[in-house]
Amino acid sequence: MAVCGKGLNKMMFSLSLLRNLRLRNERFISTCLCRLSPHEEPPKFTPPSKPVIVDKTQTVASLRKFLSPEFIPPRQRTDPIKFSMERKDMIRRRQVLNIPEFYPGSILAVTMSDTNAAGKVSRFVGICIQRGGTGLGATFILRNIIDNQGVEICFDLYSPRIQKVEVLKLEKRLDDSLLYLRDAMPDYSTVNPDMKPVPISPTGEVPFNDIKVRMRPKPWSKRWERPKFYIKGIRFDLSLTTEQMEHAQKWAQPWREYDMLKEYDTSELEEQIFNEVQQNTSK
Amino acid sequence: MALPLLSRSLAGLLVESSSITHQRTFSVSAVAAAIQKMTRVRVVDNSSLGNTPYHRAPRVIHVYTQNGIGKVGDKVLLAIKGQKKKALIVGHKMPGDRMTPRFDSNNVVLIEDNGNPTGTRIKVPIPTHLRKHEGEYSKVLAIASAFV
Amino acid sequence: MLAWSGRFLLQRGPGLISLRAAAESPAHSVFLFRTVKTTTWFDEHLTEDNQEFMRKTIAEEYRSQTAEKLNPLKDEPWQRHDWAEGSRRVGLVAVKLGMAPIWTKAGEKHVVTLLQVQDCHVIKHLSKEEFNGHTAALLVGGKNVSPFFRSEEHIEMFRNAGVPPKQKVTTFKVSDNAIIKPGTPLFAAHFRPGQYVDITAKSIGKGFQGVMKRYGFKGQPATHGSTKTHRRPGASGPGDAAKVFKGKKMPGMMGNISITAHGLKVWRVNTKYNVLYVNGSVPGHRNCVLKVRDSVLPNRKSSLINPPFPTYFTEEEGDLDEDLYDENLFIQTDPSLSLT
Repeated sequence: MAVCGKGLNKMMFSLSLLRNLRLRNERFISTCLCRLSPHEEPPKFTPPSKPVIVDKTQTVASLRKFLSPEFIPPRQRTDPIKFSMERKDMIRRRQVLNIPEFYPGSILAVTMSDTNAAGKVSRFVGICIQRGGTGLGATFILRNIIDNQGVEICFDLYSPRIQKVEVLKLEKRLDDSLLYLRDAMPDYSTVNPDMKPVPISPTGEVPFNDIKVRMRPKPWSKRWERPKFYIKGIRFDLSLTTEQMEHAQKWAQPWREYDMLKEYDTSELEEQIFNEVQQNTSK
Repeated sequence: MALPLLSRSLAGLLVESSSITHQRTFSVSAVAAAIQKMTRVRVVDNSSLGNTPYHRAPRVIHVYTQNGIGKVGDKVLLAIKGQKKKALIVGHKMPGDRMTPRFDSNNVVLIEDNGNPTGTRIKVPIPTHLRKHEGEYSKVLAIASAFV
Repeated sequence: MLAWSGRFLLQRGPGLISLRAAAESPAHSVFLFRTVKTTTWFDEHLTEDNQEFMRKTIAEEYRSQTAEKLNPLKDEPWQRHDWAEGSRRVGLVAVKLGMAPIWTKAGEKHVVTLLQVQDCHVIKHLSKEEFNGHTAALLVGGKNVSPFFRSEEHIEMFRNAGVPPKQKVTTFKVSDNAIIKPGTPLFAAHFRPGQYVDITAKSIGKGFQGVMKRYGFKGQPATHGSTKTHRRPGASGPGDAAKVFKGKKMPGMMGNISITAHGLKVWRVNTKYNVLYVNGSVPGHRNCVLKVRDSVLPNRKSSLINPPFPTYFTEEEGDLDEDLYDENLFIQTDPSLSLT
């Protein structure tokens, strides 16, 4: 184990070196190109344009089209004015507090004011395992393992106590709800609290992590193999026999996907709300 | 690029290596219930009574509240190693209010009858809202290693 | 079919009847006198184009009536009085929109119900003698509805006030100095943040229920030898009385009765959309029409300091902010809280 750990350390070190080297190279090239330009026209002096130094440790605002899921109202017989009133408050809150784009599976750091904490401020780093709620009552759950103790905090996204939400690593996973990490091996939900933010590209696709987790032996908090959860991110072959997997299919309800009454096409609504949010935030 | 590939393999290695040394976490009662009578709990301080192995898990045999339901900051009576011992709840599986932590196990700290802790160190993080009971259990809070 | 033809004949003149009666069999003419129905559907004698025209014009008329925000009755305004101790103001008829969370400046989370005041008008004033001899009353209606398929007597009340017909009309007992002229529109700014209100509505109906759900009886054990006795009420009274006392809790219809939630705090008022943010939950389902008035709780009455009296008039206090907040409420445009 010790040998293994040492080897690991070495690898980590080399990795960080590699990354540094790459960064330095890029910067070097960018400055070089700028200095070349004055040599071509000697009589007329044109001041060299300033080298653009991109600080990759800083998180940049995302440029891709993204609407937070709590903006989409549930399908029910509620007066739409209720949702628009809530939406107004949400947009006003977002103008004060930067709530970045994130998904279940992303690693987040949340700073919140807490009367009981030592500096009246507490910071929690963890992997987002679920986003829930609509409107102002939207929540997200962060999970981490500290001192071999699994800890989860359910945050109110629009609570005024939240002072800062940072995305340390933007990532999507195979499932929308990662609650099964409670029953998975602890290292899947362990995050270093002093983690540095991983640079995010503001455009293009969101990084997708198709990792499949190994579970602890049964019993689990829920029977994740049942079809109603429809979980893709668990390696069931390691913890369950084929008989057990077949047995779980007994609860399958394949007719559900053909239930036309349950269809809820939000694409048009989404477009509308997105435009509204864009207009109001750009003001 | 080789970098992401390398990092991915590294992550895989990490998973493999730590899973070998992984210890089974403590068996605990149902998720949705708070701490009540006959709840099996995990002692998280370094007292010798709570850490020596015993064939029977410590159980709650009484909760010192009005309704018999224990939350963070409540005092309970434990049956531990054939003895009766008082303990303080410092975290439970049941989700509490928003913005407060929820733990993967039901944690207690052994205390004497006068409220002083039996152990000298708490090994796991403690919820900050336990500080509301500052006056009563200040000595318990003093031996905590981390707050969350 | 017979009934229809009968009514048709009644409406046309007697000459027609005599003509028809001669042609028809005697059995039919006997039936004629038994179907005395004087009302007609509004579209009974209208072509489709005319029906559509009716619907359109009526809707437009009502829209303009509600949008005007002024009293439609052009006679001189009623005399105004000042607020005095013990005065009783009118209330509002509002529609329940749903619930949402709010936060205070101390960082605590509360839950509120959103109530929208839609087209709320004073319909009628009943003086002391007309009402019950003790107090005056005002009829207040809310939420416009279609005038069609309603009886003439029902519509007349609204026509006198010059407002569209309403889905719900309720009575508010008011003191003599708080009476308002019929036709006056009422707005959410009638209530101010920080004050307490009582809300009356019909609760959600649960149907015929047993005593365990209806009154929270304990029931009997599931096992230990009990047969056919698990959710039953048990004894219904003492043996000596040899009867069941009146008011004994028994199985029956649950819900769908008028319930009042007392002393709910108003956290916020939106004057543009006329939305009240009231603390906690209120009886009734979503979109139900309910009655909001000043709290009658003795300890909460002191929250009524200098209220708009007898109500809020747009022409007098037109410069109100869009949102009125309680002083302890966190406003979303403020920076994040840093607690001490």
